[in-house]
Amino acid sequence: MAIPPILELLQVTRVHGARTTVEGASFALMPGRIACLLGPSGCGKSTLLRMIAGLEPVNAGEIRVHGAPLSSPDRTVAPEDRGVGLVFQDNALFPHLNVSDNIGFGLAGMSAEVRCERVATLLDRFYIAHLARAWPHTLSGGEQQRVAIARALAREPSLLLLDEPFSGLDGQLRNDVRRSLLADLRDAGATVLIVTHDPEEAMMIADDLILMSDGRILQSGAPNDCYARPVSVAAARLLGDAIVVPATISDGTAQTPLGPVPAPGHPDGPAELAVRPEKLYFAAEGAAAEILSGRCIGNGWLIDLVVGDTQLTLRTAAPPPPGKTASLAIDATDIAILPLPHA
Amino acid sequence: MALTPATFLRQRRLSLTASLAALAGLAVAMPLVGVILAALGTETADIAARDIARYALTSAWLALLVGIITAAAGTLAAWLVVMYHFPGRNHFAWALALPLAVPAFALAYGYADLFDVAGALRTGLRDATGHDLPFEMRSIGGAAFILSAAFYPYVYLAMRAAFLNQSVNVLEAARMLGCSGRAALWRIALPMARPALAAGTALAVMETLADYGAVQFLSVQTLTTGVVRAWSVYGSTVSAARFALPLLAAAALLLWIERAGRKGQTHEGGKARWRALDPEPLGSAARWLAFAFCLMLLSAGLVLPVGWLAWNLGQASPDWARLIGATRNSLFLGLAGAAVTVALATMLAIGTRHLPLAARVASLGYATPGAVMAIGLLAPAGVIWNLAPGSGAVIAIMLLILAYAARLMAAALEPIDAGLARVTPSMRHAARTLGRTESGAALAVELPVARGAMMTAGLIILIDILKELPATLILRPFDFDTLAVIANNYALDERLGQAGLPSILIILLSLPAVIWLTRRIAHARPGA
Repeated sequence: MAIPPILELLQVTRVHGARTTVEGASFALMPGRIACLLGPSGCGKSTLLRMIAGLEPVNAGEIRVHGAPLSSPDRTVAPEDRGVGLVFQDNALFPHLNVSDNIGFGLAGMSAEVRCERVATLLDRFYIAHLARAWPHTLSGGEQQRVAIARALAREPSLLLLDEPFSGLDGQLRNDVRRSLLADLRDAGATVLIVTHDPEEAMMIADDLILMSDGRILQSGAPNDCYARPVSVAAARLLGDAIVVPATISDGTAQTPLGPVPAPGHPDGPAELAVRPEKLYFAAEGAAAEILSGRCIGNGWLIDLVVGDTQLTLRTAAPPPPGKTASLAIDATDIAILPLPHA
Repeated sequence: MALTPATFLRQRRLSLTASLAALAGLAVAMPLVGVILAALGTETADIAARDIARYALTSAWLALLVGIITAAAGTLAAWLVVMYHFPGRNHFAWALALPLAVPAFALAYGYADLFDVAGALRTGLRDATGHDLPFEMRSIGGAAFILSAAFYPYVYLAMRAAFLNQSVNVLEAARMLGCSGRAALWRIALPMARPALAAGTALAVMETLADYGAVQFLSVQTLTTGVVRAWSVYGSTVSAARFALPLLAAAALLLWIERAGRKGQTHEGGKARWRALDPEPLGSAARWLAFAFCLMLLSAGLVLPVGWLAWNLGQASPDWARLIGATRNSLFLGLAGAAVTVALATMLAIGTRHLPLAARVASLGYATPGAVMAIGLLAPAGVIWNLAPGSGAVIAIMLLILAYAARLMAAALEPIDAGLARVTPSMRHAARTLGRTESGAALAVELPVARGAMMTAGLIILIDILKELPATLILRPFDFDTLAVIANNYALDERLGQAGLPSILIILLSLPAVIWLTRRIAHARPGA
């Protein structure tokens, strides 16, 4: 028997005044998976998260958790009754409560003994037992975040939502916190939906990726699939640089300024290729390219060049070949071939 | 977590917090509505329209003079204390706010006794120099001086906070662009602090329009004395309410100015890159001039008049039984009024987060004189007294407390709003996702976080109620005297020696709270 999803969104829409913030969003999240909702700032992903948490109503569609409808246009289960945990971008720790009391806040109905035991377990699991009596303002960013996540998990929610959880942290601390928290969340077996605008972060942590732009879900699936086989240029660019190359398909082959690319199954006619920069390389034979400039960026080179009418920027490990021209070849595997937007 | 159909939220339900806020708003808006309804009545006293115009003109002059003097004195004092090192600067920083503990009528008693024709200081100077002083205390000018001495702390505190909020970066940028230190004051610091100046001056003017005890004693006839006179001498609530209407209009205007000023303050400077001002040392003459100015201001608002009243206490023959009773009544009204006002203000602050207009309407009473509030409550009081004839005293005290709450709502709302601002929307939402209902989140998170602010609000209200006179005069039960009422009664009989003791008792009761509040304000820093 197939395992039912924990979370299902069915054509969810949210309207603020004249503006549609989220339009027809649909996806599902399976138990124990960590999913990332990736999109640029202002694309509606936080609104979507707040609707799942019950902090905003939906104007159309339905949100289900464990198959039970929680939000629809005519009814919204109150946030306190949804069994969904939410960790806010600013952590939202209560300044008048110490770490233990913050974590135990959601356990109001339990006996003191059970409550203490659960708080102690969470303090241990997140390595913050030594901070049990500390006040929130004395904690570092990473410690505050651990407390916020422990607090949200204390009620054993069926689903944990995290809104840009690592955005307040910098550099090495961000990497460390991310790595250790993910390990903890996986240990806890939690089903997690993380909102982020950082593609590298999303690729690094997600089992499932949901790409969002302008209030719409563009694509969802495994991170590698989304990266290698984006369904649109917008989806491709959410996950990193993508060079758009014009092509004409004929007899299962796309003819491009960079050379032929296999396109089995695609109809004949004009198309676009979304090519990741690392798929292009300098070779003895290939398309003639004019090198405009090359800049060393420490761990590699950024090279601006023109092939035919197409200007592109390559990221390479080696410096550009000497001279003003070079031959550019394409690694034809895993190239996304897209129909023209107006086609 | 198991989910049952019972957990579905009925979306259009009026929340408990919004309902409580609506009730609190109705309670404090009642006197304002009462005044407007009363003014529509027909049984007017024989008061000529030109009398109302004359009273209004006097009020306007007084407001203008006090506005100018308090704006200048308060701003200069704040600038000196924030920007420069001079002897006593750290003490002046909080002591300059102490006149807030002194009722304006106590200053009037002190100054009148010193500067009347037979006054001690005037007589002494006349004997010593052979010339009489060229001014009268019992005049608009004298009243403006006394009320300015009483109310300059409103401007001082607002401007001090505004100057402290200014980052030294902008002043340094001005210096780099060719401004001298003095030019930086005129071209940068003052324009940036203009919203605070408007807000502080509006508060001082509101208090001026609301004052009854001082202007009544100095025989300066303002709209507020008109309200009380129409009611007490002519027995006409309708006429009193008509005197009150221009005051209500002025109140709305001043409150709008004050709120607009506060709104502007929030855009001041960039807090993220805020750097504290580093006060500069002054030259040897200038530092003593700065010291003398601050000392003069403090003397005018506290030391000279209150010292004189205290000096004369020896000549008084106190009626201790009456004083003790009045102290008890003052404290009872002050504490009960503070508790009720803070409770109503908290309900309003939490429940009207998305309805700022409702909070603004409820705040309208702050600029409205207590006398006007009392008149507005006379009609509902009459209805209640008719329904329950035996409950006169209890109902009167409850109405009096309601009048205080309506009058002082804005003063309580401001610190409570600021305290609640520490609770971010995400904290409230976090409490909801952790199992609390909306009112449960308010109880578990918002109230505990705002506890300190509620304490501050309570002390401010306590001080104001201890000093309050006109509403108490009109609404108090028979034979229920407060210290302010006793002082006023003695002063009307020209027994200033006797009036001094209740006045000083009010100051002594208020002073610890004022010191606590002003020190707290003096040590506050942006972002704290």
